[in-house]
Amino acid sequence: MASIGKIARRTFLVGAAAIAGGVAVGYYFYRQPWPNPLEGETAEGEATFNPFVKIASDNTVTIIVPRAEMGQGVTTTLAAMVAEELDLELDAIKVEHGPASGAYFNSAMMEEGGPFPQFDHSMVAETMRSVSSAIGRTLGLQVTGGSSSTRDAYEKMRHAGCAARMLLVEAAAKEWQVPANSLTTAGGKVEHAGSGRSKTYGELAVAAASIDPPSEITLRPKSEWKLLGKPQKRTDLLAKVTGAPIYGVDIDLPDMLYGTVRMSPRFWAKIKSADTSAAEKMPGVVKIVRLETQTGDGFGVIAENTWAAFNAAEAIEAEWGDSDYPADSAGISKKLQDALAGPDGSSLRDDGDVDTEFADAPADNVLDVAYEVPYLAHACMEPMNATARLKDGVLDIWAPNQAPTIIQQVCGGVLGLEGENVNVHTTYLGGGFGRRGEVDFSIYAALMAKETGGRPVKVTWSREEDTRHDTYRPAAAGHFRARLGSDGLPQAVDMRIATPSVLQSVMRRTFPSLSPAGPERLLTEGAFDQPYTIPNYRVTGVPTDLSIPVGFWRSVGNSFNGFFHESFMDEIATKGGIDPVELRRKLMADYPTALKVVETVAQMSSWSESAGAGRAKGIAFTLSFGGWVGEVVQVAQTNDGIRIEKVWIAADLGEVLDPAIVEAQLISGAVYGLSSAMSQEITFADGAVEQSNFHDYDAMRIHQAPEFEVTLLENAPQMGGAGEIGTPPSVPALANAVYALTGKRIRNMPLSKEVSFA
Amino acid sequence: MSRLAMIVVLAAISAPALVSIGAARADGLSEWATIHKVFSHPRCANCHVEDERPRWSGDHYGGAGMHGFNIKRGTDGSGFGNPGQRCAVCHFEANSGKPHGPPGAENWHLAPAEMAWFGQSSALICAQIKDPERNGDRTLEEVADHVRSDPLVAWGWNPGPGRQPAPGSAEETYRALLRWISFGAPCPGT
Amino acid sequence: MRLTVNNQPIEIDADPDMPLLWALRDLAGIKGPKFGCGIAACGACTVLVDGAPVRSCSLPVGAVDGDVTTIEGLPEGNTLHVVQQAWLEMQVPQCGYCQAGQIMSAVALLEEVDEPSDADIDDAMSGNLCRCGTYPKIRAAIKQAAELKTKLGA
Repeated sequence: MASIGKIARRTFLVGAAAIAGGVAVGYYFYRQPWPNPLEGETAEGEATFNPFVKIASDNTVTIIVPRAEMGQGVTTTLAAMVAEELDLELDAIKVEHGPASGAYFNSAMMEEGGPFPQFDHSMVAETMRSVSSAIGRTLGLQVTGGSSSTRDAYEKMRHAGCAARMLLVEAAAKEWQVPANSLTTAGGKVEHAGSGRSKTYGELAVAAASIDPPSEITLRPKSEWKLLGKPQKRTDLLAKVTGAPIYGVDIDLPDMLYGTVRMSPRFWAKIKSADTSAAEKMPGVVKIVRLETQTGDGFGVIAENTWAAFNAAEAIEAEWGDSDYPADSAGISKKLQDALAGPDGSSLRDDGDVDTEFADAPADNVLDVAYEVPYLAHACMEPMNATARLKDGVLDIWAPNQAPTIIQQVCGGVLGLEGENVNVHTTYLGGGFGRRGEVDFSIYAALMAKETGGRPVKVTWSREEDTRHDTYRPAAAGHFRARLGSDGLPQAVDMRIATPSVLQSVMRRTFPSLSPAGPERLLTEGAFDQPYTIPNYRVTGVPTDLSIPVGFWRSVGNSFNGFFHESFMDEIATKGGIDPVELRRKLMADYPTALKVVETVAQMSSWSESAGAGRAKGIAFTLSFGGWVGEVVQVAQTNDGIRIEKVWIAADLGEVLDPAIVEAQLISGAVYGLSSAMSQEITFADGAVEQSNFHDYDAMRIHQAPEFEVTLLENAPQMGGAGEIGTPPSVPALANAVYALTGKRIRNMPLSKEVSFA
Repeated sequence: MSRLAMIVVLAAISAPALVSIGAARADGLSEWATIHKVFSHPRCANCHVEDERPRWSGDHYGGAGMHGFNIKRGTDGSGFGNPGQRCAVCHFEANSGKPHGPPGAENWHLAPAEMAWFGQSSALICAQIKDPERNGDRTLEEVADHVRSDPLVAWGWNPGPGRQPAPGSAEETYRALLRWISFGAPCPGT
Repeated sequence: MRLTVNNQPIEIDADPDMPLLWALRDLAGIKGPKFGCGIAACGACTVLVDGAPVRSCSLPVGAVDGDVTTIEGLPEGNTLHVVQQAWLEMQVPQCGYCQAGQIMSAVALLEEVDEPSDADIDDAMSGNLCRCGTYPKIRAAIKQAAELKTKLGA
């Protein structure tokens, strides 16, 4: 039977989560504990205190950061939470991702999945949040997404560090027979000032880990923080400037084979006929296998090197079935328009009486416009890949991924293995942006590993395969109306948005036997949940039946709804003859956090002053993932086209734990959004994606990159995420600036359809 | 001889010559038309630009557009690109076998700006070809030799997968140039 | 087939048509150069051949006629190249996947231009795509590296 101490260590994390949920300070046992996955995996002389801390006898302190490092700095900020409480500098610790485990569930991500704006603290909204959080915990969903890593870890990882330090101190106190409160910790040692005695954490670790965890912990007060709240040198950068083999594509195992996939260019279409004989005879080819999976149909090519696999994949002759969605972009657009015109839809915001307001509205006072945005690819720099080995009934998968426990479950299911026989090793990610929360790349590698007699196979997609088999940001169409009052302010706004459901699409390919229910916030997030007060205000989402795979693309629904909402606000301001900043000042009066953000960014950008001849500015604001973000974009007309000169960002995400990393994330998010707005679109012909590589699906390059200025505010009542919030307002701020510069109100993305960029 | 008679006589003498010059000009222009089809073809004209930027074109691009990635002639005017980003970073001695991969030939670079063909009228291209100040100080025979023997020019007819080659061949274009020269190298009117 | 990579002779058994990138990565185990696009459109695979940058994904290994330098070959002993030092100092990378290519292009630029202007940087680095948007920091780090280089008299 497990000792109480052991159980306590195992239950640590869920206890900490209860605290994160706001129950109390202290920690609690919970009925369904997740075991500490590090138990039994420690090396000789190494001790584990909880799922986040391991200390070896040579004083190596390893912090487990169970979130995917895709550039957003989790291996620094989350490690700093633990190091802060352990009184260690960041360069004195080692960071590992650790195994896939339910113990590393993400409850914060689930919390904001409900159909409520983030500023809604009503009983219903809060109850839903805590239920969703509990679901995250119970399912043990270890996921990196929803800009939630820092929020989720904030309490539990500091608790992990603190609890470990207290045990180390207690072990020393016992050994030296002195009171624990006479001991101090610094530089990886416990010290007794009175006697001058000291011991390293490593020397105390084994004894400390056998002590029952403390029943009460007191975290370091903010005033004593040495690391948190200050910019840290990132723990992952030395590896990244020296070309260290840290990514999925860099996995190298003894006896490893290489591979790639060639999946149906039409989603969900089956193979009608195929001839692989020429491909099989190509040099270096080991085997070509059929892949019939829940994410698509096609072929896996196993070869002696990646290049041979790519060549053979191109040489496969295949005829594919037809698509079950309109075969071209015009047909897809029509489907969205039909949905928009139809009767369906649910309104997560419906204030006042919109229909009555429009029934008697004088035509001159009404704005009535149509918007549309295309599908978008994630285009991570590292193409999709995974390495798999199936040996002695155990499947090992090495993959740059955002959802290891889901991969464990789904790949186990596909191969008929229990979860405990599936090990998922998460590498660094060469970009994620939501794409790597998917299971397709892991499924294909797992199935191919069945065909290699136990040899590992590293399966790398070509860029063309990656571009044409993404889980896209959905296309969307909007029909927006506003009735303006005599003061120029909107007295009624009605936004109707048609777009395919991301959740249904994700479920179809990830858990085909389940289907989501209830109103889906992703359809209209970024439009229904914004901090504006308009007396008659309705935002309706119309789920549109299109089976092209869609997924989580940096900021998800906010990425297009932010554009819809904020570009439409700009139109309202123009029609009402009100300055766009002034309009927001009036409509955001009930939300001081939003107001302050808008006023800050207006001041930073000298909004009230003209940008000068041939230049113009545009503003937008979006609240997403707990981050209140205003952006002003300045554009200039040049001989080579429009140049984005400068972007000012004011963001309030409550408490900021690493200002340098948050600033970098905001800029990153804006570059991602601006890239899409300038020129990106995924279009369809013959049921297949037309774009294939960076020559026709490019992104912002250095010569197009503007100067950035960022101000971080800390007024928001809750901590927000950082990774995605820079994206939504960047798109409308640019579109609004282009309007101010050219007089062209571009309602169909990308902007390059109507203007050219330098 | 009366003035009128003189005119008649002159007309009688010069008429065949006029006819013959007229015929040569027509034949020459017909040869030029063949040559112009080559010179103005995207495989040639895309790198004979007046400005700093090579062009990309093809059905897939919806007409000619700028070469991606901010690729330029080079601040030194050499046509070989800029420090850190010479043409030869991507364009090697042979074509990439991949669709949309970088095409290649020896000495890949932009033609000097004064040899601009892209977006120019047939008359202007013709005038440029004949102007030693703007054709690399070549005689027309040397221009023809250049077309026949230069490996980078030859690329135009062997442009790699997915690209439409220039019409005809280097040899055919060379012969058309020689015939055009023999007909007096006429240029079309502007 | 014999290549010289980072001053080391290496022997590989490669089809001469195989791109240098795959010969390095899959055959020689040198993983610094990254696969991004396969058509010289993103710059992640950039290496130097006799000091000149090339996109190794599109250069057949059989056409390599000089000494190859990858990011692994930049440091001298335990000392990072000034460009790497500047990259660390300015905390440039995010996901980091494109950065080996960015660094190689920056090294090549600084070999030719001692004090690159913004325009020089734009003209040298626009072939290197970064999806994380680290461009402002890349710009700052190149200038920092130029200063470091001058200071060291390198």
